[in-house]
Parts: sequence; C-alpha cells; structure tokens
Amino acid sequence: MIDRQIPQERLELLWILAYAAALIFILRLVNLQVLGGAHYREIAEKNRTQIIAQAAPRGRIFSSDEVALVTSKPSFSLIYFPGQAKSGAEIDRMARALARPLGADFDALRKNIYKAASREKPVRLAENLPPKIMLALSELKAVYPGVDVIVEARRYYPFGAYLSHLVGYIGKMDPKEWASRSRDKNYSMDSRLGKAGLEQMYEKELKGKDGGIYLEVDSRGKLNRVLESRKWVPGADIFLTIDSKAQAAAEEGLKKSISGKGAVVALDPRTGAIIAFASAPDYDPNMFVLSGSEREGLPAGKTLPEFNVALQGSYPPGSIFKIITAAAILESGRVGTDEKFYCPGYYDAGSRVFKCWDKKGHGQVSFIDGLAKSCDVYFYNAGQRAGALAIEKQARAFRLGQISGIPLSGEKPGNVFGPSLRAAKKSYWFIGDTLNQAIGQGETLMTPMQAAGEIAAVANGGVFHRPYYVDRIVKSDGQLFYQGKPETLSRIQLKDSTWQLIREGLRSVVEAGTGQAGKIAGAEIYGKTGTAQNPQGKDHAWFVAYATVNDEPSKIAVAVLVEHGEHGASAAVPIAKAVIEAALRSELPAKNAPASLPRLPHGPKLPLPSVLHPGSTI
Amino acid sequence: MIFTPQGGLKKGRIDWVLFLAAMFLLALGTIAIFSSVAVLPGQARIIRVQLIAIPLAILVFGAAWSLNYQVYQDQWKFVYGVILASLVGVLLFGVVDKGAKSWYRLPYFSIQPSEFARVGLILVLANFLDKRISKIKELPTVLGAFALCVPVFLLLIKQPDFSAILITFPVVLIMLFASGASLFHLFIILGYAFISALFPVLWSIITLTPELLDNVLVNYFFHLSDSWFSASAFMASVVFGCWLLWRLSVRLYANVSGVYFAGAALVLMLGFFSGMLVKNQMKEYQQKRLEVFLSPETDPRGAGYNLLQARIAIGSGGILGRGVFSGTQSRLGFVPERHTDFILAVIGEELGFWGMLLVTGLYVLLMRRTMQGARLARDRFGYLVNCGIFGMFLVYFCINFGMLLGLSPVAGVPLPLVSYGGSNLVATLMALGIAESVYARRYALV
Repeated sequence: MIDRQIPQERLELLWILAYAAALIFILRLVNLQVLGGAHYREIAEKNRTQIIAQAAPRGRIFSSDEVALVTSKPSFSLIYFPGQAKSGAEIDRMARALARPLGADFDALRKNIYKAASREKPVRLAENLPPKIMLALSELKAVYPGVDVIVEARRYYPFGAYLSHLVGYIGKMDPKEWASRSRDKNYSMDSRLGKAGLEQMYEKELKGKDGGIYLEVDSRGKLNRVLESRKWVPGADIFLTIDSKAQAAAEEGLKKSISGKGAVVALDPRTGAIIAFASAPDYDPNMFVLSGSEREGLPAGKTLPEFNVALQGSYPPGSIFKIITAAAILESGRVGTDEKFYCPGYYDAGSRVFKCWDKKGHGQVSFIDGLAKSCDVYFYNAGQRAGALAIEKQARAFRLGQISGIPLSGEKPGNVFGPSLRAAKKSYWFIGDTLNQAIGQGETLMTPMQAAGEIAAVANGGVFHRPYYVDRIVKSDGQLFYQGKPETLSRIQLKDSTWQLIREGLRSVVEAGTGQAGKIAGAEIYGKTGTAQNPQGKDHAWFVAYATVNDEPSKIAVAVLVEHGEHGASAAVPIAKAVIEAALRSELPAKNAPASLPRLPHGPKLPLPSVLHPGSTI
Repeated sequence: MIFTPQGGLKKGRIDWVLFLAAMFLLALGTIAIFSSVAVLPGQARIIRVQLIAIPLAILVFGAAWSLNYQVYQDQWKFVYGVILASLVGVLLFGVVDKGAKSWYRLPYFSIQPSEFARVGLILVLANFLDKRISKIKELPTVLGAFALCVPVFLLLIKQPDFSAILITFPVVLIMLFASGASLFHLFIILGYAFISALFPVLWSIITLTPELLDNVLVNYFFHLSDSWFSASAFMASVVFGCWLLWRLSVRLYANVSGVYFAGAALVLMLGFFSGMLVKNQMKEYQQKRLEVFLSPETDPRGAGYNLLQARIAIGSGGILGRGVFSGTQSRLGFVPERHTDFILAVIGEELGFWGMLLVTGLYVLLMRRTMQGARLARDRFGYLVNCGIFGMFLVYFCINFGMLLGLSPVAGVPLPLVSYGGSNLVATLMALGIAESVYARRYALV
C-alpha cells in the first residue's frame, strides 16, 4: 500500500460515528415499533375511521298481559360528512337549500355545517325527519355530496301519558351526565339517557348497544369507503307486573274524577306485585323524545308534573285508619266483640265536643256496625279503651312512618301520630288527641302506597311484601336476565278472631255500609271508605279494598285517593271497583263482566329498520 | 477472498456486496414508492419516471465504474466548470417547482443539476486536498477548500436549495477531517457554522414565544437583523468586547495569545452575518420547518402534523408491518411526501420493524463497503473520493432517519436509493459507480 500521509484512525472515528447513528436509530425504532406498536396502531385506526353512531332501540316495556307499553320507532336523521374542503359560499348555499324543507333556522344550520367542516367530523343536522320531506331531501342529497339520511331507533310511548310516573322518560344528557359517561364507548355526546322512572333505573339494561357505520376517510376527511356497518343490539325487554287493563281503569277513573288529581295503587296481596300504579296529573314522555330536553318539551310557563302522588303524597288517612284502630281495639281485649256504644251524633270529651260524621247519630253501634257505618263515636269510645299507645303500636305494625320499599325514588314515609312521639318532643298527650288518632285524623299521614299495603295485609293475614313491578327482564337474545321475586318485609301477629272480625266489618262496609257502590257480582269485596279532612279545601276521598273470588286467597288489593273528592263513597269507590273488575276480568263470570273494559289500543308491532348506507357520498 | 494483482479483470473488479446492497435498497424503495403512490393523482408519471430512472441509473453506474476515476483529477477544471455552468444554467433556463428554480425541463423528465453538482464537488475537493496534502495543517488550505465550495453554495442559495447545502457542508467537513486537517481549524469552521445556525434559531424561538419581546434586551436583539446598521453596531460592540477581554488577560499576565481572541471575534462576526443572511434569505416554509423542529405543537396541521403522522405510520407498523400495499397511514395520505422524504414511513408501516432493520442494515453495509474502498484505494485522490461518497451517505442517513424519528429537523432531505427522485437516483448510482471504479483500480497494475 502506498503512503498517503493520512492518519488511518480518522477513518475509524468516522466509522464509529456511522455505527453509533445506526444504533441510536435502531433503539428509537424498537421504542416506536416494538414497544409502541399497539399504541400507534390504535391511533392510526382512529385516524382513518369515522363512526356514525346509530342509536340502538332501547328495550321495550311490556305489561303483565304482554301489551307493549313502551317501544321504539324508526326515525330518520339527516347527517353531514365534511368531505373535500368547501368554500364558505358553498356551505351557505347548501345550508340555505336544506333549511327550506327542514323548516330550520338557516343560521343554526350553517353554523352546524361549519363546525363539522372545521373539525372534520360528521354531524347530525336534523333528527326525526317526517316522511313527507324525505323526497325533497333525497333530491338534495344528489346535489350536495356529504348530506345523507340514516335510520335510527327512537323511543316511542304509544299510549302517551299512560303509566308515565312509573315509566319515566328519556332525554339528552346534560354536561354532568356526559362527563361521567364520555369514556363509555356506548354513549356519544348526543345519546339519550333515561332521566326518570324505569327508564332511569334500568338505563343499563334498556340501553342496548349502539350500531354504527364505520367509514374510512383519507387525510382530508374525504370518504373512501364503508369499512363496516355494525348492527345494533337492542336493549333488554322489561316485563312488568302491571296489568294493562287495570292500569287503564285506574287512570281513566282518576281522569274522570272531580279534581282529576289523585292516585291508585293496586297490589297482589300474595306477593306484593303491583297491578296498577297511577298518579294524576301525569305527563306524556313522548314530548321529551322529540325535543330532547325537559324545558323545550313543555309548553311555556308549565312545570313537569313529576310529583308522584302515589308515593310522595302524604294525606291524613281518615276513616281508612279505622282498620288499624279496630285491630288495636280487638287485640286489647278491653272491648267485647258484641259490646255496643250509643252514638248520638257527637261525643262529649268534657272540654270539647267531638262530632260523628253523621250528625243524626247511629244509635246503638256494635264493632261490625262501627266499621260498616264508619261510626266515629264508636271508635272514640272503643279507641279510648284500647289506649293511644296500643293504637300507635298497631299503626307502626302496619308500617306507617316507614317507606314501603318500592324501588322508586322519592317515596315518603307518612307519619305516625301517637303519645310516644309527643313524649319525645317533651309535649303532652291529651284525651282529644286519642280521639283524633282513633279516627285517623290529627297528625297521622299516609301515602296511597301505604294504604295499599295496609289493605293487602288485611287480605293476606298480616304479611307486608316489598312492592315490586318488574316481573322479569329478558335480553334481546331471549336470555332471562332478571326475575322479580316476592320479598317479605314484616308480618303482623294478630289473633285469628281479630282478622276474622275486621274482614267481616270490611265486608259489611261494601254490603251494607258506606261502600255499597263497590259491590261486584261474582266477587266478595272487602273495603273501607275514608274522608280525610283537609283544612285547605275540600276533603280528600279514600277507598281501600280487596276482593276474593270463590273463597280463594285474594289476588288484588287496591287503594284509591282522590284529592278533594269530598266523600270516599262517591269519588273513590267507583274507581276501585273498575280496577278490580278489570284485574279480575278473567275470573269473574262472563255474564257479570262489565259491559265495557277500559280501552287500550295495542302497541304497534314495528319491525326494526335495517341500516341504510349513505349512498351518494361513497 | 484474497485479491491478487493476477486476478486481473475477472476477479475483484467490482464490489458485488456494495452493488447488491444498493440494488436491494433500490428494490425496496421502488416497492414502497409504488405502494405509496397507488392512490396519488400523479401516480402514472411517478411510476414512469422511476421506471426510466432505474435503467438509466444502472447505465450511469456502469459507465462511472468502467471509467478510470483518475480522469476526474486530471480534468478537475472541466468538472468544476460543468458544475458551475449547470447551476448557472438552471437559474437562467430552469423551471420553478415547489418554490425553487432547480429543474431543467426535458421531454419526458426533469433534471435537477444540484444532485450532480454534489458528486462533482466531491471530485473537485478531493483533487484540491490531494494536491495540498502537505499543507493540510495550515488554515489557508482549509479556507481554500471552502473557497472552492462558496460559488456552488451561492448558486444553490439563489435557487434556493437549502437541503443541498445542508448535505454538502458536512460532506466537506468529513473530507477535510479524513484528509487530516487540523482539528482546531475544523472546530473554528464548526463554530462558525454553529453560530450561523444559532442566530436564526434564536430568532425563531423569539418568534414562537412573543411574550419574550417584553424584555428590552430581547426586543433589541430580535430587531437586530432588520437593519445592517444596528447589526454592524452590535458586531462592533462584540469585537470591542473581545478586545477588552484580551487586554484584561494581558493585565492578568495570562499567557493567552491574542490570535485566539481575534479568531473568536472573527468567527462571531462572520457567523452572525451569515446567520443574518440565512435568516433574511429563508423562505417562509423553511422558517416554518425550523420553528416546527423547535416546537412541534405550534402547527398541528402543518409540518408538526406531518412529522406526527409519519411517526404514527412507523409506530403502527409494529414488528411485522401491515403488509405491502396495506398501510393506511401512507395510502390514505396522512403521511406527507410519502414517496420522497418520508419514504421510510411507508416502509416502517408496511414492513414493520424488520423492514426498517433491513434498510438500516443495508445502509450500514453500503457505508462500510464505500469506506473499505477508500482504505484499499491506490492513491490519495481515490481515498478522498471514497471518503466523500461515504460522508455523503452518512449525512443522508443521519438526516433522513433522524428527521423521521424526530431527532433532527424536518429538512426535506430524501433517502438516496429508497426515495423517489430520478436525478437523485442517477447521481447516487453515479457516485457509487465512481466508488466502484476506485475499488476496481485499487492496484497500480492495470
């Protein structure tokens, strides 16, 4: 080799430089590709796909006689995919063309399109498109690429306000709700969510899995092709214990009542299953589906009648409390079963005179007559003998002052009126208090739900079940997801003779007493009317009753409250009668069946719509 | 294998490893180009150019290999003249593409003379250094080498083609280094280059963080580049500062030669002025590239976005890749310049880690064999030519890989043999042909 006067080691240094560079690059590649491969793959996938979510049909809700009370309906939405960059003038022209058939505000529409174009994300421009504008839109689709119509499932309540207090409603998420669900892949910002009642409580089961159109887009957001169109999975169906006809009877009855306000609760005394659950006034949940928000859906100046009278309305029970007083009297043994008290129409308590509801007086009154005629004077006398504490104890046994435990929120516990509460408040208990307590006035408060529990306990011999309304939940693939079961909460221990006498008394209320309007041929009705004094206005009307057919265990117990109904006998009894007749329609002899059962149109059986691919843009 | 002079023409006349490594890279690159342009509007033209360029490049390779490289030393003035003429010519007759006037338009394709000028400059420089090897330790030699480059650089700036300068400058340094130049001189030049680059970078940083302008000093510094007067005043004060420091060191009896202070002042001054020149000459897109390198988040839809998308493409390839013709990032256009500067992103996405390892390995092999050629060369000129070609590959390798992996700025530098670009391919294979020629004639007996 010739001498080149050149230091050879410099070449080595350069070589080391090249080698080091290669090593650094390989280490970086290991970091990027081997360790970060999955992460970057995910980003790459997100880069190229855009999803148009299609809301799955929520689970349906059926009555126990399998009438679909809540379903879903296909609904058409107008969407816009931002494609190639559009000039402002083009967007304006498109917005103007779309605004006409939609009847939408041009500015709002334009803003929406602009937003989509700048974020390069598809947006919904309109929802629930009426069929008559579909033709106009399909013409525009051809002119303005990027505009398309997709099918989604929309909540539909075929009977409007029917059972609304139990069913609840759905609406768009507020920012807080969205914040807690933004990581849930099944929710997108414009998803709807159960806001009240069953819709809220069983949100997870009813929701189902949204479908979606997965689109491949290029770097400019231009649509390349449809990668996949994922079919939705409908939510689970809920089967209620509610009987559609009994429920219809209850709602119709309340609507026709004097005030139009009140509540009906019907239970199966054997299990605690709720057969009818009505509260008036009610609301039509459909209006929130369309508007998406409570405020928008309501007429101006109105608030949502969300107050659930059956659970949240506390009223003085009036004479229906006499069942409890009667139990206390008979259990005390201080009043003979045949012992009679004289009713002149009033009771002199010394310092004050207490009236019987009937000023004419009832004459000599025995226990049975006392209940049948609801004679206040009998209960003044006998109640005093039994003692206020005994009545209070019995009231607690009948679960006054405790919520029934029905799985619905906002239930009120009512109030127990008695000496121990006064003692706790370091106050005194007077004779007059005992008298008021015995006839269910004073400070005693009861909800219609509690009244239903009380009468059901009489029907089944003292058992209190937790009221329930979900019989079963069935997933969309037919798998049974949940089965409702009766749950015993407590039991009242009374002598058999006590139950016997109370039932006899309740029977004579309907046969010969204040509740004669409730008689039903073919069934024995046991009931008690009540009139709760209301210092603010007209008295509230109560009626609690249960029915047996052919001496079988009772299958229905019902409590009716009509606000300002004045008299239980006139206002509340017919409603209870209609509910019982509707519930027992299959057991009553045909000739005795009521001429017309309450009408309830069958829910439409809708085939689920198939996914439509956006046509012109692909 | 043992090469003997008797092996003659048949044995050892060509370094097959070098040639095959280059062909392998070319094949990989061609596949990646075809995959990435499959959905581009101009795909037919790109494929056509590539298919013309490959045989042409191999032809040029063969010609360069068979021609004795010593001819270039002999005819260095002619080579230099051709370089300058072609660069002047392109300014007169060239067409503008992507904001730079650097193309000769021919009937079927265009030629970019700066690609060939780079190779030519290596030859001219090798001759210069070979002739002055005895005075290589002297500063005038080093400055002379740069003086040879200055006309070429000025013509390149005029186009403007900054990436050609970005490649060529380090190559000159590597050749000087390999020829045994004084490290001190190299450091001075590096310092000069560093300061020339530093000022534009500092100004870019200030542009990126406008709140810094509230500071009076920063504000003054930022507006220095606006007028030559204030710039000159600034430089005069710097020189004065250096003089003061020198006087101080004399007073302190520190035995430091005044030459160092003078040198420091000179380097600072020259660096500042050329930095100012660079800044004022920089096109907006180049300014942007610098800014994005400094802070990739500033422009998510611009160059930073491109870099990020390229990184996503490489990362998403994983170990095995997504398969040829199946990379979504590159095929759907998320990766910019995917067939040229960012071709590695396509390979990374479609062939995965193994593909990238293959490219890296082939490049290392290519550099190793070029260097081997330098070692074996029969004369100093051949040695220096191969060192220059080695340096060229090294610089391309570092800048292109580094850019893609986020280790150096987005410079718009292709990866020779792999990226699309007819002129670049032909020039690269010409350089490899010359390297093979040096290898083939490593024995004096020919």
